[in-house]
Amino acid sequence: MEIATRAAMQEATSAGRDIAIRTGGRARRPNSVRLRRLNILVGALSLPLFIGLWELVSRSGTVNMVLFPPPTVVAAAVLEWIRSGQFFSDLLASLFRVTTGFIIGGALGILLGVLTGQFPLISSLLSPLFHILRPIPPIAFVPIVILWFGLSEAGKLFLVVWGVFFTVWLSTHIGVQKVDRGLIRAALMLGTPRRQMLQEIVLLGALPYIVVGLRTAVSISFYTLVAAELAGAFAGIVYRIEIAQQNLQTGQVMGGLAALGLISFIADRLFAALAERIVWWR
Amino acid sequence: MNLALASSPASVESARTQPAIQVSNLSIVFDTKRGQIIAVDRVSFDVAPGEFVCIAGPSGCGKSTVLNTIAGLEVPFEGEILVEGAPVYSPRPDVGMVFQQPHLFPWKSVRSNIAHGPRMLGKSTTEAYAIADDLIAMVGLKRFADAYPNTLSGGMQQRVAIARALANQPRVLLMDEPFGALDAQTRAVMQDNLLALRDRIKATIVFVTHDIDEAIVLADRVLIMSAGPGRILREVAVKLPRPRSSSVMVEPAYLSLKKDCLDVIRAEGLRAFNQSDAD
Ligand SMILES: Nc1ncnc2c1ncn2[C@@H]1O[C@H](COP(=O)(O)OP(=O)(O)OP(=O)(O)O)[C@@H](O)[C@H]1O
Ligand SMILES: [Mg+2]
Repeated sequence: MEIATRAAMQEATSAGRDIAIRTGGRARRPNSVRLRRLNILVGALSLPLFIGLWELVSRSGTVNMVLFPPPTVVAAAVLEWIRSGQFFSDLLASLFRVTTGFIIGGALGILLGVLTGQFPLISSLLSPLFHILRPIPPIAFVPIVILWFGLSEAGKLFLVVWGVFFTVWLSTHIGVQKVDRGLIRAALMLGTPRRQMLQEIVLLGALPYIVVGLRTAVSISFYTLVAAELAGAFAGIVYRIEIAQQNLQTGQVMGGLAALGLISFIADRLFAALAERIVWWR
Repeated sequence: MNLALASSPASVESARTQPAIQVSNLSIVFDTKRGQIIAVDRVSFDVAPGEFVCIAGPSGCGKSTVLNTIAGLEVPFEGEILVEGAPVYSPRPDVGMVFQQPHLFPWKSVRSNIAHGPRMLGKSTTEAYAIADDLIAMVGLKRFADAYPNTLSGGMQQRVAIARALANQPRVLLMDEPFGALDAQTRAVMQDNLLALRDRIKATIVFVTHDIDEAIVLADRVLIMSAGPGRILREVAVKLPRPRSSSVMVEPAYLSLKKDCLDVIRAEGLRAFNQSDAD
């Protein structure tokens, strides 16, 4: 559900951009100006229309209002969630898990990716293992994480770190391997000592790949957060969704989903903006 | 900041006694899936200090391989290569290289690209930037000193690559088809630039090209290579007066030189054709 929301939102925004670009190219024809205005209008109406329809269907009596509450009920549940103060403690708990896990997993991934990418011996030692572990969905580790860590924070961090690590490791590894040989030869001809090649050429050459890996890892850290909090927690957005489900507070469940979608959407956009600054020469 | 790009007096002394580059019996064999490929077969030549030698030959005849080996980039070879009297095993900072692609560091500005070499040789950033700024002026890119490579045209990128190779004041400059990817007009301009530059830097230059016109315009001596395996067919001394520019291409002396070269190439082409027919 969370995935679907994110995908839908991304698709909607990118579709909007496509249309804007396409009409921009033909802006001289009055016809296309009208078309563009229409597009903006439709775009602005999209969400209100959708929410209005939802409200109507929910209240029409054709569906069970407890299972499919109207947006007004969802909004009320979210307001109550915020007013009770639980929202912010849930938000903090979830954000803490995601960011800490992301930073640890990302750092480990970059470190080991550079090592395996640069040194064939280390790659021979670790890559087979990593390639076997990497395709296992992190969610599948929930049972063993519960056995190992119980319901502690360490277990939740473990899951997020696990998910983030392999993505970042692989993209760093590939990035380091794909560094243009020509640049390395040029650097050698200019007197760059081999032991300085890593910091002068390889890391920067791999940076665009690393950034792509990190960006993918942002969404993965949210997927694994869901698994981690469903496995048992005492606070957190997904934890709240689960509790609400047990109490049949469907409005709260939907409010939680919307919050999760919004947060990971914001995180992705923030990282995209950051990524453009990290690869400064593009 | 005075760029002492010319050889120091001491080297001029030793220069009288030894060639800048000595290649003797150089053979290079590559192991591939389809067996061994003899890329270069017993190639020998000397380059005198300050001389401008062009190696001309068809695609795949081993020009790049020879040049890379002199640079110390291609490891396994038979024969002997001496640069300034010393055998070559690995790249050395007094041998500069300009590749067919500019291979500029995309994350560095024009100035930092050129300053990279001096910095690696232990110069302070200020010194390195001073050297870079002199060279930027020399290749006429003052307005682009802070630009990143991906914002420059192909010709401008190659000028940066040349300046970058010169920043370490190399005694020997190796150039591997540096203008091969440029359009004809830009190439003529670059050739003139290089000729003008060359009068100021006095480095020994080995310049690889598949364009016989380019070779004659630039060189003191042209080595014509043949393909499969790469050998030197003929040496042609180019006694055209200097300073030279690409407009030399319409003079009778130039045309007769070019005819000599083309005759050699045509005879070789015919021989190769008949041979492949016989196979
Ligand atoms: N690393 C390598 N492994 C195997 N064969 C190689 C390798 N490098 C070059 N060769 C072969 O050696 C021969 C000479 O190659 P080289 O690149 O030196 O030619 P070239 O004269 O520079 O050609 P071009 O004008 O196209 O640049 C070619 O047949 C090529 O296939
Ligand atoms: Mg070549």
